[in-house]
Amino acid sequence: MDLSRRGFLQAAALTAAASGLTVACGGSSGSGGTKNGKNLTLWYWGGALSDKVVAEAKTHFASAVTLTTASIGGDFKQKLTTTLAAGTSVPDITGIKGEDIASFLPNASRFLDLNDLGFKKLSSQYLGWKTKLAQTKDGKQIGFPIDIGPTALFYREDFFAKAGVDTDPAKVAALVKTWDDYFQLGTELQKKNPGTYLVNNISSVFNIAVGQGTQRFIDKDNHFIGDQDHIHAAWTTAIRPYTLGIDAKINDQTWNAAVGKNLLTELGAAWHALDIEQAAPQTKGKWRVCANPVGPANQGGSYLALPKQCRNPEEAFKIISWILSPTNDARGFTDAAIFPAAPAAYAMPAMTGPDAFFGGQKIIEVFGPAAKAIPDSYEAPADAAVMAPYMTELTNIEAKGKKPDDAWKDAVSQAKQIARRQGVN
Amino acid sequence: MTAVDDTTHRAPRARRLRRPKGLTAHIVLMLSVVISIFPFLWTIVMATNTTQDIYKSPPKLTFGSHLLENIRHVLHTIDFFGSMFNTIIVACATTVLVLFVDSLAAFTFAKFDFPGRKVLFGLLLLFMMLPLQLAILPQFILMSKIGWVGMLKALIPPALANAFGIFWLRQYIENGVPDELLDAARIDGAGFFRQYWNIALPMIRPALSFLAIYAFVGAWNDYVWPLVVLTNPAHVTLQVELAQLNVGHTTDYSMVMAGVLMAALPLVVVFAVFARGFIAGATEGAVQGT
Amino acid sequence: MTSPPVTGPAAVPEHRGGPGPARFRPRRATPAGTARPKRRGLLKYWRQYLAISPFYLIFAAFSFFPVFYSLYLAFQRWDGMGTMQFVGLQQFRFLWDDPVFWLSIRNTLVIWVLSTVPTLLGALVLATLLHSVRRFKGFYRIALYVPNVTSIVAVAIFFGAVFSNNFGLVNAILGTVGISPVPWLSNPWLIKVVIALLMTWMWTGYNMIIYLAGLQAIPTSIYEAAKMDGAGPVRTFFQITVPIMRPIILFTVIISTINGLQSFSEPQVLFASNAANANLGGPGQAGLTTLLYFYQSAFLNNDYGYGAAIVWAFFLLIVVLVVVNWRITTRGRKG
Repeated sequence: MDLSRRGFLQAAALTAAASGLTVACGGSSGSGGTKNGKNLTLWYWGGALSDKVVAEAKTHFASAVTLTTASIGGDFKQKLTTTLAAGTSVPDITGIKGEDIASFLPNASRFLDLNDLGFKKLSSQYLGWKTKLAQTKDGKQIGFPIDIGPTALFYREDFFAKAGVDTDPAKVAALVKTWDDYFQLGTELQKKNPGTYLVNNISSVFNIAVGQGTQRFIDKDNHFIGDQDHIHAAWTTAIRPYTLGIDAKINDQTWNAAVGKNLLTELGAAWHALDIEQAAPQTKGKWRVCANPVGPANQGGSYLALPKQCRNPEEAFKIISWILSPTNDARGFTDAAIFPAAPAAYAMPAMTGPDAFFGGQKIIEVFGPAAKAIPDSYEAPADAAVMAPYMTELTNIEAKGKKPDDAWKDAVSQAKQIARRQGVN
Repeated sequence: MTAVDDTTHRAPRARRLRRPKGLTAHIVLMLSVVISIFPFLWTIVMATNTTQDIYKSPPKLTFGSHLLENIRHVLHTIDFFGSMFNTIIVACATTVLVLFVDSLAAFTFAKFDFPGRKVLFGLLLLFMMLPLQLAILPQFILMSKIGWVGMLKALIPPALANAFGIFWLRQYIENGVPDELLDAARIDGAGFFRQYWNIALPMIRPALSFLAIYAFVGAWNDYVWPLVVLTNPAHVTLQVELAQLNVGHTTDYSMVMAGVLMAALPLVVVFAVFARGFIAGATEGAVQGT
Repeated sequence: MTSPPVTGPAAVPEHRGGPGPARFRPRRATPAGTARPKRRGLLKYWRQYLAISPFYLIFAAFSFFPVFYSLYLAFQRWDGMGTMQFVGLQQFRFLWDDPVFWLSIRNTLVIWVLSTVPTLLGALVLATLLHSVRRFKGFYRIALYVPNVTSIVAVAIFFGAVFSNNFGLVNAILGTVGISPVPWLSNPWLIKVVIALLMTWMWTGYNMIIYLAGLQAIPTSIYEAAKMDGAGPVRTFFQITVPIMRPIILFTVIISTINGLQSFSEPQVLFASNAANANLGGPGQAGLTTLLYFYQSAFLNNDYGYGAAIVWAFFLLIVVLVVVNWRITTRGRKG
């Protein structure tokens, strides 16, 4: 006891000495650049923006500011949170992932309100539901939408043809208007193509089914609603393919091998096309896309934000609105497969071309309308954390054969606990 | 067992007794070697193939022809050599400091009694058990207070505060450095530091080589803390730079593996150099007194 | 038990006078003959304090302070950026009722046992064998240490591919013998086995080197004597090697306990490939270790207070385990 106290005093003394040192050194350390706002840093991660557009932004704004960009690998959120918390070496412009944006909203004061800088005038160019997700309740806009992830149904044209199903995207879309239709089609397809499965796992079904609604796990009044009908309905939908035996139950990297082999369809966002293409290049030309059952949901899609410490907000805002202008946003689709949040881009040549991987299908004809049809939903800061147990329990059903009813009870009780921990009532 | 006390001089007389099980021993060891290096070999296999080959079922196990292409891809995507240079600086500085600081403290703990010795040592052990992941945030705040954020030197102190080295060297010194030698040196008038520097250090070279490898590899592969604290993209370490290969919705694993392989090569060199040290220690090293 | 657990392993022979190459003389700062150290004469030991001070100063500033800060966090609710809110023991109450926390502890303990036991046994056997051979020593030593240097990411991909349920090498081999595919990466127990195998693979060579260093310090004359008594290799191993190596074995047990209970990156990389999933640790959270759960709570869920509580509750558990471990291992000496 005596000793730990001594150690503690030592630590305290050293810390005190250290902070004294900083004071003594004045501003010699710190953020590196001068305070005249001529140097701006931009943090993003590989694939978040088109590297070409970013490189052009540097030259385009060279007369006004020097833009330094850093593509950061690994855990981006952890790095950003840490620097924001410490308040030093904060970037002037930063990317924020779509799945993280809600958790940054309670700390909106750490960011500049983009509306003050002129976003209001531009906001009509971007999808309203996406913009709103980066807005606080009192209307502060912290994120400038980069891209979105409208979902659709990817399917294997060859397997469909073998089962005698019309393979035209519009026809398939008509066939799978509801989840029940989709699963029924799946059982038929499986009969004609033995050893194949309709969905890779049931979590992906649940994810989309939840995203199709306007309510998620926590409502605007900060109440837990993860035990209510809309979630239970999504859960029941997700269980169906499992009980029908058309679920491949893949929850690991074997997906990479399976996707070119025995998966009949894939439910996923626009960017998922690239996953499929990279994992199964040999299936080129055999895939098609159509609207997924019921309606589209969103998965992923990021934002740019300006932390409070930004050294030149006006120029920084000019830079991000240039990088994310519909024209440049469309180029992001070509360069990095990021699907623009600006609908005007969907009509641009960069996006309207046929895609050879999908047998020459113009996939924007599926994703464009999907993007606009995504419902306006409220995502609470703790939403991702509260959703996790549902995904876990769905995986438990697949891996351990846990009874779906037990899994539902456990999922709800755990979600409630997490919600309580996160201050949801 | 009391015989031990009489033979403490540990003079080997270059006699080797145990050889009857030679062949069996070699077979077992060889099998273990195969298991040990197989994933490493597979890293090379992956680096020479394409990502699709990696995910084939069963995976492709022969060398491919894509190595140069993958390496070019790596060099094109990240600043490989710049970040490697930074890593070398950090790893070398860390290793040298760890060796010095830890051996000095370990020597003191092993051979001297002083008030508070047990408590201090126990504290060490206790704190080895605390996972330092949680310390990242306060550490960052501390670094920002002293203005080291973004600097390479911010990586060194946390790496030094690893108690394993002291624990390990103390263990080794207790048995490996005879008190008689220290007593003799004392009688010859050697002070505390000379006993450490002239007698203890040379005798524990094998243990130091092991610790050196351990510390170097640790510094080389360290990832989470450098990622957080190195805010200046021009000054990052190899692992942080490598992590950039591993992002996006899909990962080009063959390229990642090429990067991993390139990053491991310098380690192999360092390893070979220091491993010599602990090999020497085995049969003809200072401990054996030949 | 004359010494408290904190003394460390090698101090034991000193008190017990057990076998071992260690010299059993009391440590003195001054040559023999001086009176026993007096409490107040601290100044006399300035050299010793100076010698250990660099480490402790760095330690205090960069480990002690942050770690204590984290203890403070365990009593707050904090999202990592906003203002902290003091919540007393609430986080620990949540912890008590959280089945996932207890699951993570069970997982950690199982993985720890499954990996530590084969690691240490294998390391001891390999070290003995390696010590006994004369040729290729250097090669073996390097080759067997390679796993500890291999990139964990590469290893995880490798293990993932080898043990893959549908397309893995192991199941392919089993298939040729007519055994149906084993769900390595979805059965809760097999997941732990795979993680434990991965850790065993990584750490056996490392512990082997530590044992080897110990073996090399054993005088060859002991073995000569044993041989003259007609002892075979197995008997020599159990009656001479193991007892003499006891302090070193204890050392590795402690180190392995600390490392094994902090397993984190292995399950993380092994099951991180599925980008969309929010649940870490693989199917059924069977690979969710306590540290991984901490990581998820603090960094993914932005619940730093809860994360701190997890770590501290777990820390207490490790301390208890190490003490028990140490007691058992040293108690054995008396028998």
